[in-house]
Amino acid sequence: MADLRAAGATGATARVTRSRDDRFARLLIITGAAILAVVAMAALAAPLLSSWGATEIDPAATLAAPGGAHPLGTDTNGMDVWSRVLYAARLDLGIAVAAVALAVLVGTLLGLVAGYLGGWLDDVLMRVVDIFQAFPTFILALAVAALLGNGTVNLIITIAAVNAPAYARLVRAEVRTQRELPFVDAAVTSGASTVGVLWRHLLPNSLTPVRVIAPLNCGWAMLTLAGLSFLGLGVSIPEAEWGAMISLGAADVVGGRWWTSVPPGLALFVSVLGFSLLGEGLQERANAKRR
Amino acid sequence: MRIFRFVVRRLLQLIPVLLGVVVLTFLLVRVLPGDPIRSILGQNATEADAAAARARFGLDQPLWRQFLDYLGGLVTGDFGTSIQSGASVGGEMALRIGPTLELVVIAVSIALVVATVLGVWSARRANRLGDHGIRLFALVGNSIPEFWLGLMLVLLGYSVLGWFPAPSGRVDPDANLTPITGADLVDAVLTANGPAISSAAAHLVLPVLTLVVGVVAPLLRSVRASALEVLNSEAYAAAAAHGLPPRTLLHGYLMRSTLVRLPALAALVFGTAIGSTVLVEYVYSWQGFGQWALRGLLYRDYPVVQASVLVIALCYVLVFLIADVVHAILDPRVRI
Repeated sequence: MADLRAAGATGATARVTRSRDDRFARLLIITGAAILAVVAMAALAAPLLSSWGATEIDPAATLAAPGGAHPLGTDTNGMDVWSRVLYAARLDLGIAVAAVALAVLVGTLLGLVAGYLGGWLDDVLMRVVDIFQAFPTFILALAVAALLGNGTVNLIITIAAVNAPAYARLVRAEVRTQRELPFVDAAVTSGASTVGVLWRHLLPNSLTPVRVIAPLNCGWAMLTLAGLSFLGLGVSIPEAEWGAMISLGAADVVGGRWWTSVPPGLALFVSVLGFSLLGEGLQERANAKRR
Repeated sequence: MRIFRFVVRRLLQLIPVLLGVVVLTFLLVRVLPGDPIRSILGQNATEADAAAARARFGLDQPLWRQFLDYLGGLVTGDFGTSIQSGASVGGEMALRIGPTLELVVIAVSIALVVATVLGVWSARRANRLGDHGIRLFALVGNSIPEFWLGLMLVLLGYSVLGWFPAPSGRVDPDANLTPITGADLVDAVLTANGPAISSAAAHLVLPVLTLVVGVVAPLLRSVRASALEVLNSEAYAAAAAHGLPPRTLLHGYLMRSTLVRLPALAALVFGTAIGSTVLVEYVYSWQGFGQWALRGLLYRDYPVVQASVLVIALCYVLVFLIADVVHAILDPRVRI
């Protein structure tokens, strides 16, 4: 049977497809990273790129159409849309990345310990993860956010709490397969401590899938944050955040006033796309390596 | 028979998970800040008024007592009384589930068909122009904020073109629709109400389209990936090398093995669709389950929060169970 495949794809063509896959993966990674770099720059350079503050009100212009002093117009509060779109990148990017970092940290630790030690601790932990995973993630985020209340720190905790169980499960599965491999026995017999084995041997080897998933997860975290703000459970006006801005602009859409909701939505979409491209590229590369 | 035993075993396994959900929701909603009583009383209410209201809803009882009462009610199918409206939670919920299921079921069904057709088509043209287009579409669908897409569709479909009704309500009140199930399109068909059918359908187009874009993207990627795997498998290569006609190859070999994975995917996507519906309902002022649960959460309406969380968890795990059973029927290798 193996000959059949070899007959179809000779060594040369296999190599060609692999390098083409590789180039495609690199293209995805570079595009994604470039988009994210632009968004991060916009966040940092917001004061240089705009002449209005994030929450500065222009009393002479409420809901003004784009043009003149306000390149993208103003919202119902008379705040400059262009400036706010730029400043909002700080909160959106910051909260999403911080939340995913926290989720990776907590999830990985729990997964490592549960996977290596096993026993009742593992049982209890996995049952808790089961309960968490009995809900669609956005619903869970919604409930936690509504109960915790808003505020930047609470939002980071909410999004991290919703994601951590998935990382715990992922790392635990990885650790359980790695644990059975000879190199772990070798480390133990040569006198490495439990912490040493976990930290130096199992952790680095178990992080591979986490590295691929984390960027995709950042994009999802941004969508969740904006979704929560849109429903009034995340960041609230007057702070500059894309979801909250879209929420404020939603009332203008029916009247055909597009400039309060289109720009923040586009900014959000492009940033999430950056994370998606990056994640897709990493995934592609990981798949190519496995083959 | 084996399937029956499997279902019973899985249902028994669900009991601890659901019990965990019940306990956790009950405790969390009470431990965390927020008071349901304050929100129903006016600003001028005295402490005595608050205490009386608390007693009316049994909130003055010790926690264990409240929990046993709640659990006792659940066993008899009683979800309690809403603190906000004073109505039975079960009755309110029954009114809200129809409209939401209507949205989700239509959207997920369309998404499944579209994802299967496009995913297989894309895999057979792997790395050609059409395939790249499909993959790009999936990436965009995965990255676009659904609530914003909904708003953009309103902007285009209602404000600019005027083809679709305003995003408020589910059917034209002049159509005189008699509610039966709560799902307006179904009710209109059942009562053979012509104007209501067209009005309900027109109101459905934009919200369903919004949901479909978000739901179809992850499905499309998975269908494409599993079709590619089949195409690259030795079994498929052997079948192709035997010179089987393309039709047989497509239907007998490619489709069937690709579709084996679809039930599990559909279950997962059903979950994301429930999550997205909360946002989509909000955009289109769709008076469904999501809006109801959201309001319950915001006002800390304990019985409403408990009931909606439990029902979502129950739906979600049941859908996964159904997916496993369908998978076992489709794939003879699966032993359950």
